[in-house]
Amino acid sequence: MSAAQPAFPVNQLLFNGYDPGSFYDELIAPNGQPRPGAAPMYEQLASMPLDVFEERRKVADLSYLVQGITFTVYSDGRGTERLFPFDLVPRIIPHNEWKVIERGLAQRVTALNLYLQDIYGEQRILKDRIIPRNLVYSCKHFRREMVGLSVPKDIYVHVSGIDLVRDSRTGEYLVLEDNARSPSGISYVLENRLVMRRTFPTAFEVCEVMPVDHYPTELVQILRSLSPRSGDRPVIVLLTPGLYNSAYFEHCFLAQEMGIELVEGRDLVVADDVVYMKTIRGLTRVDVIYRRVDDDFLDPLAFRADSLVGVPGLMNAYRAGNIGLANAVGTGVADDKAIYAYVPAFIKYYMGEDPILQNVDTYLCSDQTQLSYVLDHLPELVVKAVGESGGYGMLMGPSSDKKTIEDFRARLIADPRNYIAQPVIPLSRCPSFDPATGTMSARHVDLRPYCLYDGEKVTIVPGGLTRVALQKGSLVVNSSQGGGSKDTWVLRGDE
Amino acid sequence: MMLSRIADSLFWIGRYMERADNTARILDVNYHMLLEQPADTYQLRWDPLITITGERTRFYQMHEEANAHAAFDFLGYSEDNPNSIAQCIIHARENARTIRDRISRELWEDINGLYHKINKLRDEGVSDLSRFCDAVKRGGHRFHGVCDATLPRDEGWHFLQAGCAIERAEMTARILDVHYHQLLEGPQIMSEARHAWMAVLKSVAAYELYKRHYTQIEPEKVAELLLLDARHPRSVRFNLGVLQNSLYAISGSVPGSYANEGERLTGRAYERLAYDSIGEIFEGGLHEYLEELQGTCRTIGVEVTQTYFYYAVAS
Repeated sequence: MSAAQPAFPVNQLLFNGYDPGSFYDELIAPNGQPRPGAAPMYEQLASMPLDVFEERRKVADLSYLVQGITFTVYSDGRGTERLFPFDLVPRIIPHNEWKVIERGLAQRVTALNLYLQDIYGEQRILKDRIIPRNLVYSCKHFRREMVGLSVPKDIYVHVSGIDLVRDSRTGEYLVLEDNARSPSGISYVLENRLVMRRTFPTAFEVCEVMPVDHYPTELVQILRSLSPRSGDRPVIVLLTPGLYNSAYFEHCFLAQEMGIELVEGRDLVVADDVVYMKTIRGLTRVDVIYRRVDDDFLDPLAFRADSLVGVPGLMNAYRAGNIGLANAVGTGVADDKAIYAYVPAFIKYYMGEDPILQNVDTYLCSDQTQLSYVLDHLPELVVKAVGESGGYGMLMGPSSDKKTIEDFRARLIADPRNYIAQPVIPLSRCPSFDPATGTMSARHVDLRPYCLYDGEKVTIVPGGLTRVALQKGSLVVNSSQGGGSKDTWVLRGDE
Repeated sequence: MMLSRIADSLFWIGRYMERADNTARILDVNYHMLLEQPADTYQLRWDPLITITGERTRFYQMHEEANAHAAFDFLGYSEDNPNSIAQCIIHARENARTIRDRISRELWEDINGLYHKINKLRDEGVSDLSRFCDAVKRGGHRFHGVCDATLPRDEGWHFLQAGCAIERAEMTARILDVHYHQLLEGPQIMSEARHAWMAVLKSVAAYELYKRHYTQIEPEKVAELLLLDARHPRSVRFNLGVLQNSLYAISGSVPGSYANEGERLTGRAYERLAYDSIGEIFEGGLHEYLEELQGTCRTIGVEVTQTYFYYAVAS
């Protein structure tokens, strides 16, 4: 590909003509000055000529390519490897803001676990009619097999990723969705930081950024505690669907960082309800599986019989208490997008507290009244399929043509339980480099922090994955839909 | 405890990288040799090359005649030839990707880098055979260097070494076999035959060593060096020695014994190469000798797979 000569001078400054516009800008205050805490980083970037910046951008891109940090998209039928675009301007979160987010997330994750314990246990919340029984039972990811089964230390969701957005109108963070099955993206958090440190070492000298590298250590500690056998060296493995999974790079990365074995279904075998892995010296017993395979595919004997990536008999071993699984089976009944609407009620019900982080208003299409409202206002709303993730099965009303909207209308009427709708949130924005103009442009961002729960406390590495919609005006940040990512800096405060 | 699948992948990374490297070598040397040859022997000189790679039938399904262009296309980039250089590198990379948590970052980046380099040459439409082969050979050298400098000497290392050694032994035997065969049947012009043997020596980087030890280019001497030499890193004997060491290191067997069929066959072949003389080999027929040797290499590969990688039935 031959690039045309850029129409802009190479020594142009990056923030010339930058317009934060009418949205909340994460870096620049409405008066055009950098927000408190962001000034040292901003000044470095603002004084950097375009050619120097471009040089660093190339170095960063190259480092992702050389390491093969790619994800796979399935739109063309055979799956293509692509680089996840990385934007070099960090998103900065002041310490006091982070403290609120951290408390809010800890509260939410605790409530989600209490809810799962209850649903697969006594089901008090159903008896007390806080949430309709058939809404829970009709969740695509509700697992009847889990009812009455006790799981190690009563933890269901060990690892979660909670998606947050900042509403430009209020400046408040809102929870957009919960990911309680196997959220991916943490490897980008760690790699982005690595690349940032290499590309802009001087920025770290002037900004006090909280580290994120301890995530794998925290995770492996939790996994270790799930071993059904005593002894200080349990055999822990990460179960991946394999090379062609879009998050395969992450699976490798985490296994390596945690010093545990990366296995595929075919590497494992269950005999007498005990899980073994096939080694060159014969079978070795496995104690804990950090599984990145969905429930449906985990065990062809218990769930989908056509699964080739699972382990036959695994559920029996789990029931027999011979294997620890993270996350537990059936956690999808907590992150269903219709259940989401009730999470604030869970917090109140189980913990007697007010939610620290609010939800986005949500219309449940399973409810007749709410459905008719949604059908009347489709062009203004975002519609999401309740069991999907990754930006698939979604309608962005305001930016969709009539045909797409009518298509969704038909789907909504045919299967209302499968959909929710939300108003379009004017997401906050962050300066991001636009190669077409050679300057910074404001682009919408979200934030996915990763939460680890050990049964007593929730640990969150400061920040998380900031995803950015690199297309001008776009509100969709998913990597499969043209999104990129940024390093996220939580600034150190005085504690 | 090493997963069987990981050992399997390491073994095949070794084999594929070695296969790519050897193919680039024979392609390159042949090309250079032919630059100074009369045009009418052209066909004759590309055909054996295709035979060496064991893909003769497939080649003639795709191309009418064996010429430089067709050979380069088929052995270099072709997606329809599973043993083309590009395909070998893709396979090596796929294997490396599935176990990248178990190999050094340097090794992964190296194999991945080679893959991108080859893709780039293809996308640029590079028809310069030399430049392409050079990139692959350099890649091969760097691969061994990176392995040597960054991999721990554990079981994984030995599976990788075993893969390289078995592939190299088989490839050297095949190069010798095909050229010998072809030269016996071809026109008996001394100067040309000499030229061809020189090319063979160069393709396995043994030309300089040969010149130091022997004065004349003679088929027996060339065969002796490539088969029986104890020091040259591309001779069959040398590589069976490496293979034996690695298999012993994996199983814990001591010299003079064996723990499985693969070790027994390796040991037997290695000892024969240590004690057979080149005179005896020619007496019994070089072609038959080489054919048996290649067969043994294939069987050893199967045995290693059976012993370490393969679980018959998932219970």
